[in-house]
Amino acid sequence: MAAAPHHVADDAPIAAHRTKILLLGLRRSGKSSIFNVLFKGTQPKQTFYLETTQKVEVHSVDTVIPLEIWDTPANVTADTLGAPLSDFSSIIFVIDIRDLYNQPISKLVEFIIAANKVKPGIPIEVFVHKAEKLQEEDKIENYRQINDRVLDRLIDINPDYEHLPINFYLTSVYDHSLHESFSKVLQKLVDSLPYLEELLNVFCANSQSPKAFLFDVRSRLYIATDASPVDAATHNLCCDYLQMLNSFGQLYKSISETIRQQPTPQTPPPTASSVPSRTPSLHGSAVSEAPITQVVHPPTWKHPKELFYPSAATTLHPVTPGTTLTYHLITKHLALLAVLPTSVYESRRGLLEYNIVFFREGIQEICDVEEEVRDGS
Amino acid sequence: MKKKVLLMGASGSGKTSMRSIIFSNNPASLTARLGATIDVEQNHVRFLGDLILNLWDCGGQDAFMDSYLTSQRATIFQHVGVLIYVFDVESREMAKDLDYYRDCLEGLRQFSPEAAIFLLVHKMDLIRGEDLKESTLEAKRKELQETSGDLAIEVLGTSIYDESLYKVRAIDSTFISGAAAYLNGLQAWSNIVHTLIPNANILSTHLSKFAQACSATEVILFERTTFLVIATSSPEPQSEEQTSKLSNKRYERTSELIKAFKHSCSRVRGEFHSLEMELAEFTAVLDEMTKNTYVLIVVHDPSIETAAIKLNIRMARRKFEELQGDSLISAS
Ligand SMILES: Nc1nc2c(ncn2[C@@H]2O[C@H](COP(=O)(O)OP(=O)(O)OP(=O)(O)O)[C@@H](O)[C@H]2O)c(=O)[nH]1
Ligand SMILES: Nc1nc2c(ncn2[C@@H]2O[C@H](COP(=O)(O)OP(=O)(O)O)[C@@H](O)[C@H]2O)c(=O)[nH]1
Ligand SMILES: [Mg+2]
Repeated sequence: MAAAPHHVADDAPIAAHRTKILLLGLRRSGKSSIFNVLFKGTQPKQTFYLETTQKVEVHSVDTVIPLEIWDTPANVTADTLGAPLSDFSSIIFVIDIRDLYNQPISKLVEFIIAANKVKPGIPIEVFVHKAEKLQEEDKIENYRQINDRVLDRLIDINPDYEHLPINFYLTSVYDHSLHESFSKVLQKLVDSLPYLEELLNVFCANSQSPKAFLFDVRSRLYIATDASPVDAATHNLCCDYLQMLNSFGQLYKSISETIRQQPTPQTPPPTASSVPSRTPSLHGSAVSEAPITQVVHPPTWKHPKELFYPSAATTLHPVTPGTTLTYHLITKHLALLAVLPTSVYESRRGLLEYNIVFFREGIQEICDVEEEVRDGS
Repeated sequence: MKKKVLLMGASGSGKTSMRSIIFSNNPASLTARLGATIDVEQNHVRFLGDLILNLWDCGGQDAFMDSYLTSQRATIFQHVGVLIYVFDVESREMAKDLDYYRDCLEGLRQFSPEAAIFLLVHKMDLIRGEDLKESTLEAKRKELQETSGDLAIEVLGTSIYDESLYKVRAIDSTFISGAAAYLNGLQAWSNIVHTLIPNANILSTHLSKFAQACSATEVILFERTTFLVIATSSPEPQSEEQTSKLSNKRYERTSELIKAFKHSCSRVRGEFHSLEMELAEFTAVLDEMTKNTYVLIVVHDPSIETAAIKLNIRMARRKFEELQGDSLISAS
């Protein structure tokens, strides 16, 4: 008989329409560590002191989409989980990279088959974890072996299983690989991803930005990025930058001062009833001949424009040409992090701000519609 | 102008570890690989303008100590600006440590009677619990003052690890993974370095004036490479109405955050240059002030924009460059 899953009291409210992610894996494979490092700000080294998870723990987490992360003990089965597998939007299976034995693979294969029976096509994400423990060569070798064994086993059972959507990642709590991998897992759960990406593409083109990310601020997971390839070093730098800004915000806040009016989640429902497919009319067809001081006339829209949106910029030297990393809060949860040539940042500041206003409007509209769909369903 | 800084203490007490974290930007986790220091390792750290810290890391094994006190006596104890003596808080040979310490004081009295003396009770992270930390430090302080007689000494508790390493912290508390772990250490070294800077008070006075000109709550001046705090606009934060509401760990945390981010930048072969923030609670700019210093200006007045602050910094640069030059020349 299934024991009722235990809802852990997190900051986020328990709500009906949370997207559920299931964490599975053998004992000490690193499931709880992954959850705590990503969503509780636990330092990697501190995961050493985590106690073994005894029963299913359900954590509510507010990212750009409301999530429910189900952390499980190793002996959990589809029957004792406390919810049908079909309730989950994504299953993450954590395997210790040094664990090349049958046990984890059998368990994984068992869950893959069970899940696909009730929900064909459910994304299965395999985190080959604690990767930093091995040297580069062994790392790749073990990763490949785990990958092959899982697929071989599945094909043995049923040749059709070859085409199941299973993705493998190398992860470790000690570097940025965990954030990057989990970002990719999360992106698949964001229905409006193509629209977000399109807005980012337009922003990059019009602002001469070689790379821009839309990050979930608290978790530092990126929800979308433009079409240019993600280079790990740039991703890591943006992630660290966000962490520094999150920390600075706490450091010099003065209790006696009033807080500027920031965006809150209580925005009036949007009038549009379907996911917007239009591309907001970003100004930028003529970036190069735009005057340095562009007068900004933000349009009126449902998010009152007197709201204060935090922003920041940091400049790196001397990497020719100099690089500036900008940060602009877009919604309560999301921030735009963009890489810009310093010359563009310094001489076309007005234009940049102008583009951001339009970008923000587009993203907010998309997010509002998503929220409405979720609440209404 | 050179200032000789002696770093002494029993073998294994943590001297080289602290040095490598603060002056070479190494993470705390790497210190476990350090071998015992053989004899004296000299480091020249160009610190502030022409102020060069001549750091003598004196290996603490008995044989070396004996030789410092006898054949090398004059070499070691001459021209000392500061003596930093490190005690392992869990030392099992405290009596012997104190004997050596007493002998070193004697050497100092003979060759450099003017030297400032800092005593670090190190590895405080090994003591669990806030109360126990405090009482342990207090007991050590008393013991060390007694041993030092009527000499003016300053006793500081230090650690290369964040004191909360063993606690699980909430997401909003400030930390950066990896590089963060030397809170107390940074603060202690800021204090020490402060005593080496001639006319530090004049710098403070000018920073206060500058803060007023920018309507800033606070202005902090950092050394460029170590990001140790050189001076602030509020010399006694407790006495000031507004700043007292700010976290009292903010200086170390700022150094820590910037150092960690500088590290991230270097991984993309970039060099951190400046930072400006208009956040919900405050506006701040961190930028070069003089060729050896960085300044952080924190403003809580929402009507003031970063552009105005940056303009103020640009206008203040010459003045501070002169000031720094002046104070160094007059003191050498
Ligand atoms: N727990 C803890 N360990 C520390 C701390 N500081 C240093 N250590 C460890 O203490 C050991 C000895 O450190 P060293 O810096 O080599 O000691 P030393 O004083 O230079 O020793 P000698 O060169 O032989 O005089 C290393 O393993 C460090 O990792 C600290 O604050 N806390
Ligand atoms: N080296 C290394 N250890 C890790 C990593 N992730 C987790 N661990 C350690 O693995 C152990 C078990 O982690 P835990 O999260 O409790 O596993 P769970 O039983 O799957 O929830 C802990 O000691 C963690 O510190 C990693 O990426 N690298
Ligand atoms: Mg040493």
